[in-house]
Amino acid sequence: MTAVATRPPRTSPHKRRKPRSRQGRETLLLMLPALVPVLLFSVGPLLYGIGLAFTDARAGRNAVYEFVGPQNFIDLLSDADFWASFRIGLIWAVSVTGLQFLLSLGLAILLNQNLRFRGVARVLAVVPWAMPPVVIGLMWRLVYHPDAGILNSMLGTDIDWLADFSLALPAVIVMGIWSGMPQTTVVLLAGLQGVPKELYEAVEVDGAGTWRRFWNITLPQLRPVIVAITSLDFVWNINQFSLVYVLTQGGPGGQTRLPMLFAYEQAFRYGFFGYAAALGVATMIVVLAVLGIYLWRQMREAS
Amino acid sequence: MRIKSALAAAAIVAMAAACGSGGGGGDAAEPAKSGGEPVKLNFLSLAWQKESVAANKEIVEAWNKANPNIQVTYVQGSWDNVNDQLVTSFEGGDAPDVIHDDSPALSGFASRGYLLDLKDKLPAELKSDIPQSAWDTVTFDDGKGNQGVYGVPFLQESQVIIANKKLLDAAKVRVPTADAPWTWDEFAEVSKKLTKGETFGVAWPMKSPVNKTLNLALNFNGTFFQTGADGKTTVKVGPEEKQVLQRIHDQLYKDKSADPSALGMGTADPLPGFFAGKYALLPVGVYLRQQVVEQAPDGFEWVTLPPLKGETTNQGAVSQTLSVSADSKHPDESIKFMSFFLNGPNQAKLAKGDWLLPTSQKAAADPSMTTKENGWDIATASAKDLVVAPFLKVNGFDEWKSKVATPTLQQYFANKISLDDAAKQLVEEGNKVLERYSR
Repeated sequence: MTAVATRPPRTSPHKRRKPRSRQGRETLLLMLPALVPVLLFSVGPLLYGIGLAFTDARAGRNAVYEFVGPQNFIDLLSDADFWASFRIGLIWAVSVTGLQFLLSLGLAILLNQNLRFRGVARVLAVVPWAMPPVVIGLMWRLVYHPDAGILNSMLGTDIDWLADFSLALPAVIVMGIWSGMPQTTVVLLAGLQGVPKELYEAVEVDGAGTWRRFWNITLPQLRPVIVAITSLDFVWNINQFSLVYVLTQGGPGGQTRLPMLFAYEQAFRYGFFGYAAALGVATMIVVLAVLGIYLWRQMREAS
Repeated sequence: MRIKSALAAAAIVAMAAACGSGGGGGDAAEPAKSGGEPVKLNFLSLAWQKESVAANKEIVEAWNKANPNIQVTYVQGSWDNVNDQLVTSFEGGDAPDVIHDDSPALSGFASRGYLLDLKDKLPAELKSDIPQSAWDTVTFDDGKGNQGVYGVPFLQESQVIIANKKLLDAAKVRVPTADAPWTWDEFAEVSKKLTKGETFGVAWPMKSPVNKTLNLALNFNGTFFQTGADGKTTVKVGPEEKQVLQRIHDQLYKDKSADPSALGMGTADPLPGFFAGKYALLPVGVYLRQQVVEQAPDGFEWVTLPPLKGETTNQGAVSQTLSVSADSKHPDESIKFMSFFLNGPNQAKLAKGDWLLPTSQKAAADPSMTTKENGWDIATASAKDLVVAPFLKVNGFDEWKSKVATPTLQQYFANKISLDDAAKQLVEEGNKVLERYSR
C-alpha cells in the first residue's frame, strides 16, 4: 500500500498509455477507506457466521467446538419450531410490506396534492421515523395495554391484545406497518414528484379520468421506485428484531416469534451458537432467493 | 492527495486492528494486593422492590465503609433480561464479580463453566447457617460429571394462600393452621362454599403457569422428570403429576369456583379484584403480601393461610442466589463480600425488603420474621415444607418451559385440550427438546 502511495504523481503525457488501469487503481484507492469498514464489520462477521453454522459451537467458558458439516441444517429442516417461526416470519414480512406499501402509496399521493398545510402534514408523516425501535415498541405496549391501553378505552373492549393467541400477530403487524411507513412514504413521494407533468396533461387532453391517470401514468412511472422500496422493505421486515422483542418477546406461546427472535433465543438463551448461525444463514438464503425471483420478474416485465 | 487517502486508509486499518485485538486480552488488571489501590468488585443486584433495593444498597455501603481495601460497586440489573445479559457478558469476559440470580438459571451456567465452584471455599459459619435443603438448590453438575456448589442460596419463595377475612368468616369455614393445613379436597370444598353471586372462591393467575404447577405438584409427589439408568432425563406425566393439574382444572370448569378470566393474569393482576371481593382466595407466592399491604384499601382485612396438603405439604423450592463469576479476578474477595452480605442480620433485612423467606436459620429466628403481623409467622413456618424442585437439575428445562410447557399448560387451563393430550404434548415434545442437551 505504501509503495503505491509514495509513487510520484505521474503527469507526463506519454505515460497516458494505460489510462483505464490507472483510473481503476485510483478508484480502488479512493474506495478503500469506505471498503475497509465494510470488509471488517460486515463481510468479516458474515463469513465468520457462515463458518460457525457448520460447527457445533455452544455457549461455554473455553468451550471447544468442531466441524459438523451440514448437521445444523439437517436439524433445522426437521425442527417444527423453526418452520413455525419461519411461517410467522413470512406472514409478518409479506403482510407488513404489502399493507405498508398500499397505505404509504395513498399517503404519498395525498401529500403530493396541493393541500393546505402540506408542509406540516409532510413533517408529521415522517415522525415515526425519528423514533428508535425500542421507543416504538414501548409506546405500542402502552397502546395495547389490557387495562390502561388507549385501544381498549377507545373501543370500549377488555382484550389483552398481546396475550391472545390469535390477536397477537395481527397486533404486532399493525405496529410494524406504522413504524415503517415514513421511509416508504418519503421514497414514493419522491418518485411521484419525478413523474413528468406533461404526461398527465397529455392524457387529460384525451379525457382520461383520475383512475385511468393513476393506472396508466402514475403506476408505470413509479414502477422502479416501487420495486426498490418493496424489496428493501421486505428485507428489513423479515430481519426485524427489536420492535417485536420489545413488544412481545415472541410470545404468547411463540405466536410472534419471528425468525430472528428464534435465532436470538437459540443463541443467547439456550446457548446453541452454531445452530443459531445456521438459522441466520438459512434466512439469508431465503431472502436472497425471494428477492432474486421478485427482481428478476420485475426486470423481465419492465423490459 | 493520493498519499493522504492512502494514509487515511492505513490509519483506519491500524485503528480497526487495535479495536479488534483489544477485547480479548485479560492481562491488564492484576490483583492489587500489595499496593494502596483497593480491589474493586462489581455486584449485579436484581432487587427491584423499593425496600429491597434500599436494603441492598445499605448493606453494600456498610461493607464499603468497613473494608476500604475491597470496594464494591452496586450494579442494578433486572429480572426481565438478566440471563441474556449474563450469557453475553460471560462470553465477552466482562461479567460482574458477584452475581445475583436464581437457582434455575445457575444449572445452565454451571454446566457451561461460567461460575466458580464454591464447594470448598465458603466459610463454615455461612455453610452451617443455611440448611442442606437450600444448598441442594444450588448444587449442580459442572458438565463433566462433578457436583459443585455454584451459588449461595439466600431467599426462597413458598406458595401460600392469601384470603379475604370477611368472606372467610361469613362462610364459616375452618381456618387452617400451620399444623393442620387445608387438604386439596378441603380447599375445593371451601372454594365452592365461598363462590356466591359475583364472588368466585379462588383466582388462579396462570400467565406463567409452569413453575407454580410444578412446585405444587410435589404435594402429590409429582416430579415431572425422571432420570433413567442411562443417565438420560425424560419428562414424565403420570397419575401423580396429573393430580394438581386436574384439581385446578376442576375448580375452573367443574366446580366453577375459580374465575376463568383470571387465567391470563400475572401473579399480581388479580389484586384489584381481590380487594373488591371478587375473589376470596388467592394462591400466590409469599412475596405478594407486600403488594397486598401496600395497595389494600382502608379497612380491608386479609389473612395468610398456610400451604395446602396433598399427600405431603412438600413444595418445590428455588432460591435467589449470589454467585461468583469464574472469570472474576478477585474470587477470594468476592466470597468475603458474599459471606458478609448474607450473614444472619443482613438476610433478615433482605427477606423483609423482598417479603420472602430467608435461608439463614439465624435470620429466620429473628423476631421480625416470626411476628403475626402481615402473616410472617405462617410464611416463615412454610419454609419447612420446601424441598429442592426436581426440575432444577434438568438441563434444558428453560427451553422445555418456554417452548413446550408454558403453551401446553395455558391451553389446558383454557380448556382447549384434554389432560391426556396435554400430558402427551409435555412428554413427547418435551423429550425432543431435552434430547438436544444430552448430546
